[in-house]
Amino acid sequence: MVEFTDDLGSYCGRLLADLGADVVKVEPPGGGRERHTPPFYRAAAPGPDTSLAFWVHNTSKKSVVLDLEMADGQAEARALALTADVVVEDNAVGYMSAHGLGYESLRAEKPALVYTSITGFGQTGPHASYCYSDIVGQAMAGVMTLAGEPADPPNIIYGQQANVSASIQAAQATLLAVLHADATGEGQLVDVSAQEAQSMNQETAMQQWDLQKLNRKRTGEKGALPLTLPGLGVYPTTDGYVMCFVIAPAGAGFPELVNWMREKGMAGDLDDEPYREICDNLNFGFFTQLARDPARAAAMIPHLGHINTLLIEFFASMSATEAYEAGQTRLLLQGIVSTPKDLAENAQLRARHWFKQLEFDYLNAIIEFPGPPYRLSETPVQIARPPRLGEHTSEVLAALAALSTGRTK
Amino acid sequence: MTKLPLDGLRVADFSWFGAGPIGAQTLATFGAEVIRIESEAKLDSLRVAGPFALNADGTPKSSYNVSGYFNNFNAGKLSMQLNLNLEKGQEIAYRLIEKSDIFLTNFTPRVIDKWNLRYEQLAAINPRLIAAYAPMQGLEGPHRDFLGFGAVLTPVTGISHLSGFPNRPPFGVGTNFPDYVINPGHTCVAILAALRYRNRTGKGQCVELPQIESVVNALGTAVADYLANGTIQMRSGNRNPIAAPHAALPCLDDSESLGSNDRWIAVACYDHSQWLSLCEALGAPALAGDPRFSAFDARKANEDDLESALVALTGVWKAEELMAALQARGVPAGVVQNAQDMLDRDPHMKVRGYYHYLDHPETGCAAYDGPSAVLSATPGRHRAPAPLLGEHTLDVCERIIGLDMDEIASLLAEGVLV
Repeated sequence: MVEFTDDLGSYCGRLLADLGADVVKVEPPGGGRERHTPPFYRAAAPGPDTSLAFWVHNTSKKSVVLDLEMADGQAEARALALTADVVVEDNAVGYMSAHGLGYESLRAEKPALVYTSITGFGQTGPHASYCYSDIVGQAMAGVMTLAGEPADPPNIIYGQQANVSASIQAAQATLLAVLHADATGEGQLVDVSAQEAQSMNQETAMQQWDLQKLNRKRTGEKGALPLTLPGLGVYPTTDGYVMCFVIAPAGAGFPELVNWMREKGMAGDLDDEPYREICDNLNFGFFTQLARDPARAAAMIPHLGHINTLLIEFFASMSATEAYEAGQTRLLLQGIVSTPKDLAENAQLRARHWFKQLEFDYLNAIIEFPGPPYRLSETPVQIARPPRLGEHTSEVLAALAALSTGRTK
Repeated sequence: MTKLPLDGLRVADFSWFGAGPIGAQTLATFGAEVIRIESEAKLDSLRVAGPFALNADGTPKSSYNVSGYFNNFNAGKLSMQLNLNLEKGQEIAYRLIEKSDIFLTNFTPRVIDKWNLRYEQLAAINPRLIAAYAPMQGLEGPHRDFLGFGAVLTPVTGISHLSGFPNRPPFGVGTNFPDYVINPGHTCVAILAALRYRNRTGKGQCVELPQIESVVNALGTAVADYLANGTIQMRSGNRNPIAAPHAALPCLDDSESLGSNDRWIAVACYDHSQWLSLCEALGAPALAGDPRFSAFDARKANEDDLESALVALTGVWKAEELMAALQARGVPAGVVQNAQDMLDRDPHMKVRGYYHYLDHPETGCAAYDGPSAVLSATPGRHRAPAPLLGEHTLDVCERIIGLDMDEIASLLAEGVLV
């Protein structure tokens, strides 16, 4: 596989490279934007070979530097692309064909080629030439409008998630096209629009508009509910937060949470009426019933604040990890709001040896790295360190020259 | 009809909620015959979660078959009812899996054990099977039985801590985000890779997608940054280390944007010419030369002031018009669109025809997310809308599993096929 990608499409190639594809990344002199994006390894030495933003999307690849603005570079890139089963690119629409690397011209020489183009808005349509970046993608796909407090601007989701969604969908579609090419010898163009690739991330907003002509919008900390319900939402702990869904229809439910509070001597007067009856029944179904019984609701709702105060005191007495692990052991539906440190120390990830040790010979370092998204029993994912800029240029070009000499003979 | 990449493959879809069914839907879209196993004894909650199709009088329809949430993840599948809590149900499951190429589930290991659906059990009856398991925490380990779905996974995987403004608590991103692309997408990538391996070797395998691992892998630099540098990243709103401005800015309210009148535009300036173009488009060339903003480092150092200055300028614009003006000048800019825009107002989405409209016997004509990429030679398609609960139970029993009518009748009588 040969890729011409920067931050939008690089994770696609990473997924395939970690699964065993021989991925050659063609990069411009100096490297693309992702190679210059912080954070860098040991901040003192920022540069194209130390960007963690590049590293996490470019493991297991080879790097070849070619200047596509020069005739030689174009010719080498074209020759290289024609050795590939798969080409993946994420350039502005028209750039590749203007540089002799377009799908139609490569296909004319190699009909079995799978050619995946990842762009903000796809190869066709009135916005095809629109300038794209991750925030523009999250905005235009209807994802950003759902995140954030109503009083704030809409929020982006961390981690270049428009790019990541587009790359994942591209990897999936590329593999579909490879299976088809394997079976029939017929290649094809795979057109991935980051806007479309994220549409599913709207959750139910698309269907709500379609079926009910109502727009879902961001609801922030309170969610869609008109009042604060004990056992639902974010609670501060001594060192972080825990997110509770204890009143959702799964798990042991609110009475078990009160048992836990009682064992710790922090249940206060929750065993007395009127609190006891409320706590015994505190779940979504109960609130649905209350909605139909305004008199009872009026009697109950004023007491919810007191219950929640005790709950706030309870979670404030323990660490986020304790709240998570002890709560889940009691089958309470809740999750730690993990920081990166919490994830690095997560007992499950550690017990399963998820993190990988990657050797960075050029830094004289073995660096621990997040592991793969999946575990395959027969063909386990293998992650090798990302390449230095141009690390494989001479090796790949020499192989290419040998190939062309072989052809001439 | 065009030949599709997965024509002739059969998928036994024992998954539920979002992360599993969406992946299986992709396989159906590209040709596979997908049999979704369901049971009224353990109903997929999405069948009873809104949004629901409406009656003529505006009240929501009430049935297991009218949820847009469920339907959008299950188009083109067959629905078979099977009670896996009964031993006979498990026998029927084995007979289906024996005739399938791919098995998929996202139940917890506790349930997989109870239903006797562990990989070694399935491989014993079908060694060519690709069996994909996508439980929240994985099949082994101290947290393997922890409860959860996307709403718990979002905080646990770090998305909540890292997203949003730093002065707000980490309440999340408004959706069960990892359920819809990250996890089903990774699942499909792994299944398709395993399929290619099987095509070459004849060997099936076990694919495990612990959802927590899948999401943290896709989380960008935060965990790598802690592991390599000891840095604990904090959420930083809409900002980006290599662009300024990088923000959502307010535009004129739009009364045609129903229920969501406030309008915003997302703007990113990665280089100096984009910054100059932004100021020019906003009719504020002087802003470009303001020493607080004239260079990237200065804009970064004065980002609060920068955003305030821009907010004062963008508020008089209609969002779509500002987007067009900025795009014409080469500035990455996009309206913060809502679902109404995606379906009905964005001219580009319309021309591309991404959404597919399918006639469904209970909801009427409804929109479905189309294939997530356009494949020129083998474009995917939904062969049917989402199935009614149990719509294909008899068909699957007879045509695929090979039961005769007497056997089916007794299974029905014994409550196995519900």
